[in-house]
Amino acid sequence: MSLTKSAIFATIATVMAGGALRAQEFKIGVVVELSGDNATGGNVAKRGYDLWAMAVNETGGIQIGKKKYPVKLFYGDAQSNPSQGAAAAERLITQEHVDLMFGPYASSVANAVGPVVEKYKIPMINGSAESPLVWKPKFKFVFGSIPPVNFTGAACIDTLAHLSPAPKTAVVFGSNDTFSSSTATAFNEALIKQGIKVLKFNIVPEGQDLTPLLSAMKGLRPDLICFGGHDEELINLVKDLHQIDYTPKALLMHYGVTEPAFAEALKGDANQVFGGAVWTETTKTSSKILWKDSQTYAAASLKAFKVAADYTQGGCSAAGIAFQVALQKINATPPLSEAKREELVKALEAVDVETFYGRIKFATDGDYFHANSGISSLTVQIQNGVVKAVGPAKVAEVPTQYPMTPWAKR
Amino acid sequence: MELLPQALVDGIMLGAIYIAIAIAFSLVFGVLHVIDFAVGEWIMLGAFAGFYLNLWGKVDPFLMLPIVFIVFFGLGYLLQPVIQRVLSGHKGNPLLMALVFTFGLGMIFRGTAQTFFGFYSHSIPSHFSNGSFYFEKGSFFLTISSVRLAGLVYSGVITLILNYLLRYTDFGLAVRALAQNKEAAGLMGVNNRRTNKVLYALYTGITAMTGVLIGVIISVNTKMGAEYSIFAFFVVVLAGMGYLAGVPAAALLLGIIQSVFLVYLDPGWTLLAVFGILYLILVVSPTGLFGKGWV
Repeated sequence: MSLTKSAIFATIATVMAGGALRAQEFKIGVVVELSGDNATGGNVAKRGYDLWAMAVNETGGIQIGKKKYPVKLFYGDAQSNPSQGAAAAERLITQEHVDLMFGPYASSVANAVGPVVEKYKIPMINGSAESPLVWKPKFKFVFGSIPPVNFTGAACIDTLAHLSPAPKTAVVFGSNDTFSSSTATAFNEALIKQGIKVLKFNIVPEGQDLTPLLSAMKGLRPDLICFGGHDEELINLVKDLHQIDYTPKALLMHYGVTEPAFAEALKGDANQVFGGAVWTETTKTSSKILWKDSQTYAAASLKAFKVAADYTQGGCSAAGIAFQVALQKINATPPLSEAKREELVKALEAVDVETFYGRIKFATDGDYFHANSGISSLTVQIQNGVVKAVGPAKVAEVPTQYPMTPWAKR
Repeated sequence: MELLPQALVDGIMLGAIYIAIAIAFSLVFGVLHVIDFAVGEWIMLGAFAGFYLNLWGKVDPFLMLPIVFIVFFGLGYLLQPVIQRVLSGHKGNPLLMALVFTFGLGMIFRGTAQTFFGFYSHSIPSHFSNGSFYFEKGSFFLTISSVRLAGLVYSGVITLILNYLLRYTDFGLAVRALAQNKEAAGLMGVNNRRTNKVLYALYTGITAMTGVLIGVIISVNTKMGAEYSIFAFFVVVLAGMGYLAGVPAAALLLGIIQSVFLVYLDPGWTLLAVFGILYLILVVSPTGLFGKGWV
């Protein structure tokens, strides 16, 4: 045998051996927004998925029967763009041959990735993506660990409606993206239900300077200002309100308030801002899988990333636990065949597990098919720079600070 | 109609930011013929410079503007010969190549900034951020934010300084000569290379200072550049490509249109209205509002 032939055979043998080795791990594709407008949330989601993978691999992998199978994450950058997200999902499925998928941060991107995983029959769990529109198509292969925002939004309004003196009027704004507009709609509907008069309800272009709108709103003197947007937009809104010197009785925002960067950027102005969440570092939970409670998870996050965990990050790690439990239940070993993936969907539908994040149980019917119906919504408020649960009453850590202290007196 | 004065004042304040973004951008286009698509990234880098200088020095950002100007003036001065090299190529379309070059430059700036500064949004605190002027009489009321008023003053000062430089100094004479005819200006003794370098450096210095202003008024993050690149381009097109004197009017018009739409009509239609009016003006007058821009 010539030297060339030997080299070719050796290469083929190495590739085959590599293939055999790769088959010993679960390959999980992750489409998140690592760049673009939603890079903050996308990277928060990435931290959640990474932390789960690190924790699982530290134990040797997912225990299936008597053997442990490590997990390997394959990332695709959605660039905060739905079409790029769909393309990244397609690439991960067809070229990387991933067994499972973790979903994006933004609902708009999740909406674009959903049909792709459905086409290739790859089970996907969204660790973020809270818009109710994500659940509208009722995809068989798409699950989510965070409940839709209409539940979270309604819970926040319920908390605010019962404050004293009760707010009587409100204005609602939402940025024009899938999640933020759904959030604003959820706030609006909940306010009407609670009998609070909505003086203005507007969906505004993303990134728009809202000062003219807020200056005009100042004349209406609303008790509540409710805003659906992302991190940067929330910071800008608080700064705008400070600049025009209007302090409402309560300011409610979603998502981004629970992200440590919000309080860091706004310093004292972040205090007393309300937000919606489904988990905080102090949420009382108990689990036998990876992290025994919220505090343990928060400590692990702080150690790994030197950043406090928020509920989006937690939701992404919880998504990993749901996969872990379902894979164990059906004794699935990598690589997963189409039949096994179909079986996994059934196993996910049957998942009912207590995690550090709370209970994970996916809805198997109704409007929010495959959304997590196991956890409840929280109202949070930033107090002295720290996110505190202030509602519902049974889980409140501290009393609400209400009405807000005027900006000038902070 | 009691909201109209407020809408107009807010529109003027918004327009003032657009003036600061677009004025030097327009000058560079008029003379160097460079459509610098990295304009938004110069703003972003300037904003981060202001953020870190404030973080480390604890000095009000408005006092740090000269430092930011000097640093970015130096960067622009060093970078201009590279752009000039692209512009002076003989193959293909040099103007198009310069456009692609600056677009790529912007992407490099953004990517590098994201790597070093991370993806979080920040805010630059300033003494001007506290407080506003408020007038109320009957149903009439008017709020003027002091930090936005400072922004208006800043834009006015920058415009006046540029006007003085261009009209009353030898440098300005050289710039105007180059804008009219490069060859003839060279024959009359204008140092083409040095003037171009100083001009581009002025542009990067002013744009970076505007970034600090935006960081104080709005916020700072690595994603902010794209939006301002678009607005800078719109203002310049509306003013008439390369027609510097049209920039303030075009920027104020853009700000007022946005403000009035936000207050009186559906805010969701604001950007569509801005684009619609821009296209309409260009259809009627392809050389901009005053008919004095490039065709």
